[in-house]
Amino acid sequence: MTRRTVEHATCLGCGCACDDIAVVVDGDRIAEARNSCPLGRAWFADGSVPRETRSSGKTVAPDVALADAAKLLGRAERPLVYLAPDISCETQRAAVAVADRLGALLDSPTAEVAAGILASQRRGRAGATLGEIRQRADLVVFWGVDPADRYPRYASRYAVDPTGLQAPDGRHSRRVVAVDVGPSRGAADADERVAITPEDEVDALAFMRAVVLGRVTGDGTVARAATGLATQMMRARYVALVHDAEPSPHGLLHHPDRAEALIALAQALNGPARCALSSLRAGGNRSGADAVATWQTGFPFAVDFAPGYPCYRPHAGAAVLLGRGEIDVALLVGSPAGVPPAVAAALGQVTTIAIGPRVSAAPFRPKVAIDTGVAGIHEGGIAFRMDDVPLPLRPALSGPSVAADVVRALAARLTKGQS
Amino acid sequence: MSKARLRIAGGAVYDPANGTEGAVRDVCIEDGRIVAELPREAPKLDARGMVVMPGGVDIHSHIAGSSVNHGRRLLPEEHAADPAPAPRLADPDATPRSGTGGTIPSSFTTGYRYAGLGYTTAMEAAVAPLAARHAHCELDDTPIIDAGLFALLGNDDYLLRQIAAGEAARARDYAAWVLSAAGGYAIKIVNPGGVERWKAGGRNVTGLDDAVGTDAVTPRRILETLADAANALELPHPVHIHCNNLGQAGNAATTLETMRALAGRRAHFTHLQFHSYGGERGKSWKSAAKEVIEHVNAHPEVSADVGQVMFGPATTLTADAPVEYLLHASSGKRWVNVDIELETGCGIVPYSYKEQAAVAALQWAIGLELFLLAQDPWRVVLSTDHPNGGSFLSYPELIRLLMDRGYRDERLKQVNQKLVAGSALADGLAREYTLSEIAIVTRAGPARLLGLSDKGHLGVGADADVTIYANDPDRAKMFATPRHVIKGGVVVVEEGQLRRAPTGRRLRVQPGYDRAVTRDLKRWFDGHACVAFENYPAVELGA
Ligand code: SF4
Ligand SMILES: [Zn+2]
Repeated sequence: MTRRTVEHATCLGCGCACDDIAVVVDGDRIAEARNSCPLGRAWFADGSVPRETRSSGKTVAPDVALADAAKLLGRAERPLVYLAPDISCETQRAAVAVADRLGALLDSPTAEVAAGILASQRRGRAGATLGEIRQRADLVVFWGVDPADRYPRYASRYAVDPTGLQAPDGRHSRRVVAVDVGPSRGAADADERVAITPEDEVDALAFMRAVVLGRVTGDGTVARAATGLATQMMRARYVALVHDAEPSPHGLLHHPDRAEALIALAQALNGPARCALSSLRAGGNRSGADAVATWQTGFPFAVDFAPGYPCYRPHAGAAVLLGRGEIDVALLVGSPAGVPPAVAAALGQVTTIAIGPRVSAAPFRPKVAIDTGVAGIHEGGIAFRMDDVPLPLRPALSGPSVAADVVRALAARLTKGQS
Repeated sequence: MSKARLRIAGGAVYDPANGTEGAVRDVCIEDGRIVAELPREAPKLDARGMVVMPGGVDIHSHIAGSSVNHGRRLLPEEHAADPAPAPRLADPDATPRSGTGGTIPSSFTTGYRYAGLGYTTAMEAAVAPLAARHAHCELDDTPIIDAGLFALLGNDDYLLRQIAAGEAARARDYAAWVLSAAGGYAIKIVNPGGVERWKAGGRNVTGLDDAVGTDAVTPRRILETLADAANALELPHPVHIHCNNLGQAGNAATTLETMRALAGRRAHFTHLQFHSYGGERGKSWKSAAKEVIEHVNAHPEVSADVGQVMFGPATTLTADAPVEYLLHASSGKRWVNVDIELETGCGIVPYSYKEQAAVAALQWAIGLELFLLAQDPWRVVLSTDHPNGGSFLSYPELIRLLMDRGYRDERLKQVNQKLVAGSALADGLAREYTLSEIAIVTRAGPARLLGLSDKGHLGVGADADVTIYANDPDRAKMFATPRHVIKGGVVVVEEGQLRRAPTGRRLRVQPGYDRAVTRDLKRWFDGHACVAFENYPAVELGA
C-alpha cells in the first residue's frame, strides 16, 4: 500500500480550523493527522465512513433514494431543512436553496448560540480575526473558558503563545488573566485568576463597563475584583476578551444578558484601549451555516420561508417547532452527531430525510438516508473558521457521494416535480 | 426570445462612447455581442419612442463579502421590512430565489434589483484578500450582473514592510501577486496607514506625513508605492483611493494634498463627496466641493466617483474602521468593528441621512456641487458608495436631481439651510444633465475608467448589455423602471418584469510578477500569518 501526504489540510475538529495539518494516508485510511491536537485526531480518525443509501430501512440505488426523498418533501406540509455540521459552504448553499424552494423552515446549530447573535444584532460587536489577536493582544482575558478543553490549539496558534507584531516575545509579551465563573474555569496557564459566581457574572460585567466609562467605583467583593480587572483592561493596549459562545459543557445555562454584557464591555474598552471579543465556536463549519444563511436570506438562523420569502423566527426555530409537533418532514444535511440533543430526539418523531456523513447510522433512524463524505476529509470546498475567515478544504480521501451534489440532485428533482 | 439574435428596433440610442446622442437606429445582437447587422427575419424588440443605452456599470458598491455580510447580519429589522419573494422566471427549470432587501439586500435579491434597475455590471469595492474566497462565494450567488472585486491594500503588513525597506519593486510584485490571489480586479487603498494605526492602538493618522510604525512609512509613501505599482502593472483600472480623514470637517485639504502627491499618475478618487469638506475639525463645516472639483477638472489623469448622500436610510460600512469608531461614539448607534489580521479593518454603523440635519444637508449639497461643477463627465461618475451614502436603488432619484433643476431647487429649499447657505448650490447652479451625460456617468464613463473595453457602449463587438427605458419626463420614474434589460444578449427584464436570471461573469486581472516574491512571501507567512501560504489564494494561480 502506498503512503501519501496531503499538506496544509484544514481540520474542522473545532472552530480553530487549523490549516496546517499534514494528513498521512495509507491505502484508503488516514494513518496520521500530523500537527493536529487530540481532538483533531479524533475528528479525522482513520477517515472511514459508512457508504449506505437507504430508504425505509432497505438499501436502494441512489436514484431511488432521491426519488423517495423528493416525493416525501414534495408532499410535506411543514418541512424543516436543518444544516448540521461537517458540510462545506457549497453544500449549505445548495441546502438553503432547497429550503427556499420548499417554503421550509431553515435552521442550524447556530440556534445554540442565538443569545450571542441576537445581542450582536442589538449592539453590534467589537471583534477581530484570530490572527489579529495574535498580532496585537497584550492582555488576554479568558472569561469562564479554558480553551484547552474544546479549542485545544487556540492558545498555541492564536491568542497566547505565538509571537506577533506587538507581542514580539509571544507568551512573555502578554498577560493572561483567567476569570473563573463558577465551575467554568478560565485558562490554566494564567498570570492571575479572578473568581466570580455565575449569579454575579452579568453584574460584574456591567460594573466593569461602568468603570471603563468612568462612572462608578465600589468596594464590595465583586466590585473590587471587577474594578481591578477593568482597570487592567483599560491600561492594556489591546485586550482579547475570550469567551465560549457554545452551550456550557457543565450544563450551566448562561444568563440571557451575558452575551450582551460581554459585547458592551468589549465595545466600551475601545476608547481607553483596543479590545476584541473572541467568541469561541465549535467546528464542522458551523460558522459557515450562519454566514451562508445570512447572505442568501438576510438572517443567520431560524429562517422561515413559508410565507414565500425569508422571515426571521429566532424564537420559533427548529427545536421549538419540532417540540410543538408542527414539522412533518425534515431534511437533515450534515452529521447527525453534531445535532443538538433536543433536535436529534425530535427528528426521530417525524419523517426525516438525511443526507450527510454517517446518516445511515443516525440514532433517529431516517426514512431516507444517503451517506456522504465529511467536508474536509472526503470533500473539498470552503469552510469558515470561528472568526469567519474562509478556508479551503483539502480532502485526503474520496468518500461516498459528495453532499453538495446529492443536495443539488434533490433540488433538481423538486424543481421538475413542481413545474 | 432566443439568446442568439435580437434587433432592438427604432429606439433613440444614447451611446456616448461612439458619439451617438439620441439618434434613432437599430441595435443588433448576436450570441451575446453587438453586431453591425442582422437578417431581416431576426427577432425584433420594438423600441420606438424609447431610450436605448448600454447596461449600467457601477464603479463602486458594497455588495458581497465578509464586511457586507457582517452588515447584513446586523440588520434583521430592515430585512423583515423589505421581503423579496422569488421572481417568476420564464424558464421552468430556473431556480428563482426569494430574499430580503433593505440597505444590504441578500445576495440573490442584490442581483435581481441591480438588473431591475438596468445595471449589468458592478464592482464590489472593498475586499480583504484574506476573505476574498468569501466574496467570490457571494458573487456566485448574485445573479445576472458581471462583477469584480477590489482588493484592499495599503494597511497590509507585508506591503508596509517593503515600503519601510525601500523595496519598491518587491512591493509591486507583491501587489500583483495578492491581486491575482484574491481574484481581484483593481487595487483599493483605504485610509492608507490609518487602519494600521487604529489596530496598533493609536487612533488614526491625521495627514499624509504621519509615521505608520516607522518614519519610513507614511500615507504618502503608501499611496505613491501603490499608484506606481498599478500603473507599472498596466492594470485596467488605476489605484482606487479612499483618502485619509474621511468624513472630517476640513478634510478637503488632505484630499487635495493626496491628489498633488500623486500628480502625473493615474489615480481614481472614490466617494469624493466624503472628502470635500471645508471648515475645521470639531468647529465648523462648509463645502469645499469647488476647490476639490477644480483640481479634478484641471488634471486629466485624475478621475472620481461622487459618493452622493441621499436622504433616508443607509449603512455605513468600510475598511476605514477608525472612522466608524468615531461615528459610533458620536451617534451612539450599533457598531461593528472587526480587525482583520495583517491586512485591514472593518467598521459598520447603520445610519440615516435626515434632510433636517445640518451636516447631512451639507453632504447632500456637496455631492450635487461636485456633479454640477465637474467639467468632464467621463472622469466624474455616479455612485452613492452603496450602501454608505444610500442604496443603489436611489440612483434614479439622484438622476432626477441632476437632470431637473426645478426639482432640485425645490428639494434644496426643504433641507436644513444652516450649512448650505452660501454654498455654490445655494447660489444657484443652473446646469441640467442631459440624457447623454447621464449615459456617461452611469455606464460609458465607469466602463472606460475601469478599462472594460467591451462594456459601457454599443459598438460592434461590445457585450450585449443593453437597457431600454420609456422616455418619461419624470426621470426618476424612467430610470427606476426600465422597460427591457438585456444582459449578454439575454432579455432579463421584459416589459418591466424580471424574467430571466443568467449567471454573471467574474471580472478579474492576473498581472505578472517576479516569482521570487513568492519565496519571500512564503517565509513571511510562516513567520506571521495564521493561514498557510498555500491556502491563501482564493483562486487558482497560474504556474
Ligand atoms: S485545535 Fe481544533 S481545528 Fe485545530 S487541530 Fe485541534 S481540533 Fe482541529
Ligand atoms: Zn465604498
